[in-house]
Amino acid sequence: MVITPIHYIVVPLIAAFAIPLLSKIHKELFRIVPGIVMFYNIIISFVLMKEVNEVGYISEIIAGWEAPWGINLMITPFSGFLASLISVLGFLIWLYQYRFKKVIDVDEIKSYGILQMMMITGAIGIIITGDIFNLFVFMEIVAITAVSLTSFYRGRDGAEAGFKYLLIGGFASALILLAILILYTQVGTLNMAEIAEKMHTIPLGIKSTILILFIVGFGIEAEMFPLNGWAPDAYSQAPGPTSAAFAGIVVKAGIYGLIRVIYTLFDIEGAFDFLIIAGLVTMIIAEFSAVKQKNLKRMLAYSSIGQMGLVLIAFGIGTKTAVFAALFLMFNHAIIKSLLFMTGSILMYNSKDKTISSIHGIAKNLPFVSIMFAIGAFAIVGLPPFSGFWSKLYVLTAAADKEMIMLIIAILGVSIVEIVYYFRVVNKLYFATDIEHLDIFKPSNNSLIAMGILTITIIVIGFYPDLITGYLHNAADILLDRSSYIDFVLKANVPIQ
Amino acid sequence: MKKVLVIILLVIIGYFLANTFINIPFGENRIGDINAEKPTAAGYYLSNTKEKSKVANIITAIVVNYRGLDTLGEVTVLFLASTGIASVLYRRKEEEEETERLSLPSSTIIRSGARVLFPIIALLGIYVFIHGHLTPGGGFQGGTIVATGFLLMLISYKGFNTNHNRMTWIESLAGLTFIFLGIWGLIADNTFLGNIPEVGKLNSLLSGGLIPIIYIAVGFKVAVELTGILDILLKIKPKK
Repeated sequence: MVITPIHYIVVPLIAAFAIPLLSKIHKELFRIVPGIVMFYNIIISFVLMKEVNEVGYISEIIAGWEAPWGINLMITPFSGFLASLISVLGFLIWLYQYRFKKVIDVDEIKSYGILQMMMITGAIGIIITGDIFNLFVFMEIVAITAVSLTSFYRGRDGAEAGFKYLLIGGFASALILLAILILYTQVGTLNMAEIAEKMHTIPLGIKSTILILFIVGFGIEAEMFPLNGWAPDAYSQAPGPTSAAFAGIVVKAGIYGLIRVIYTLFDIEGAFDFLIIAGLVTMIIAEFSAVKQKNLKRMLAYSSIGQMGLVLIAFGIGTKTAVFAALFLMFNHAIIKSLLFMTGSILMYNSKDKTISSIHGIAKNLPFVSIMFAIGAFAIVGLPPFSGFWSKLYVLTAAADKEMIMLIIAILGVSIVEIVYYFRVVNKLYFATDIEHLDIFKPSNNSLIAMGILTITIIVIGFYPDLITGYLHNAADILLDRSSYIDFVLKANVPIQ
Repeated sequence: MKKVLVIILLVIIGYFLANTFINIPFGENRIGDINAEKPTAAGYYLSNTKEKSKVANIITAIVVNYRGLDTLGEVTVLFLASTGIASVLYRRKEEEEETERLSLPSSTIIRSGARVLFPIIALLGIYVFIHGHLTPGGGFQGGTIVATGFLLMLISYKGFNTNHNRMTWIESLAGLTFIFLGIWGLIADNTFLGNIPEVGKLNSLLSGGLIPIIYIAVGFKVAVELTGILDILLKIKPKK
């Protein structure tokens, strides 16, 4: 059987619908099946990335109707790279949580598996689709699963975070739907390539209204200030693996939507400056809020928002180096922040009140987890020789090329703030001795393997960044080449056999 | 102060949205010439559906075939919504949290009325989704009608219980039917959800290839999921 992009969607869906039946046969199946699906996603990613690096684009049409009339799925080096990243992370998150909540009810954990798997599928769907309404449908899938997972622990705080996310996420969906509606009245099509082709026919006033609606809608998922009120609550209330998935997967899909709309659909130059300003404000406010946090997961959440601000800045600069740097940042953020959330939630499991001050000196009891947390912390602030160093360096290079001195100062200044709050936690983990820890919860072997893989990746990429820069340069070139995307979809529209 | 700012912001947003919608001409033909060499999407659907898909109801052809992946996505959204609600509102067994149905005592009139109406409502719903490719309506609408029948029974009889085991089976099998019909297209036609329009003749119950079968599966799935959501939402902790 030939592997095509639709496998990303069909295989998880079969599993999701079949899990309720399969778990009647054997109780372990609903834990194993998502893992098999995630592993299959990695295989799809390998095959498609190999193919797309040779041919440039892969387009698959659905139901036999060619691109402007039916729905098409597009794999470009850019979207293929993100889809592969999400697949690998999805598998690692599954590995991390394989024994998660062994004791609770079957029914509950069954829906947890389905929701987690479908959240990842929805994010991949957002990235690979070539149709704007289809993108909205996958956005809905991500939103509804993310909300359910946020309030999975049915405490008071979980319910509050979930309800907040539900309202804001629903608002985001409504705005995106409105934008699509206005867009359809203007161009009469939903295919992204055809919309991009006809974009110059829309009057400027209507065009900017649509763009603003899109930016606000996707900005909520991408945690852009001031639309990110839901994020700290959702991150800190969701189960640990889900927080890792939010940082590594859901945010990436939101950023993708924003970038696809601004880079491919629209031809408004001002949007790039807007991205820089929005990113800068997001970064500064989030990093300064992170310093004040006492709850470790909230601190990580604010740090995650700050990193997304930096990604937006890099995309806003808009040169080839900058886009490359932005993609490198997204890659690093995905692996490092997932590692931080994975290790962080094990550390938090051992604290009484989820605060940083209650895990003082725990490194003695949890040496592996603590060292991995420390490596993650060093990597995310951009210390060499870890992978985070390179991406930050490339962002600064790109800003220097455009002579944006103030921007460089701001990024470096914020990095100092980052160092302050990450090093404070690491310092307390190792050198504070005011608390005795009894009854330590040890992570299971599969969790250690998942975290170990991420740690090794961070170190290896730090020493050999060339391993992925080739792919990233390719992806950046393709993203900036708007006209070849349009031409490929509308003219040379042949399904890959 | 905060309220004033909110009002000003709303006025600005409202102005821009109103400005946009006023500029969209109302009642004009924006589909264009349907026989043009490169028609708009809507024009293409109007001129090609009859010959190529053999379906009388063009909306159904759009929903189930041209944009079939969106429909699969929407079915999934509903499935996930019901799974999510179940996981959020689920009561743990070991904590021995009993549940009972929220219901007010209903009168004899409502009870006998519900009993008479229920089969008729269910029949109407089933009719709507079986004839989705011929008449207005389809899987989502028909399924919703069936679910309203169940709602009527749930609120009038305190002892009316849905069989969860059976519902899980129907839900999963209907979803799998949709996907496997799509995969059939992938194998036979090399494109997911590819249709086999040659079966049957236009305007008869047996027409449109796989479209009516998919819509019937959607109908079952929607009916069961909405009923499940209602069942969960109506359950409360018993008063002690």
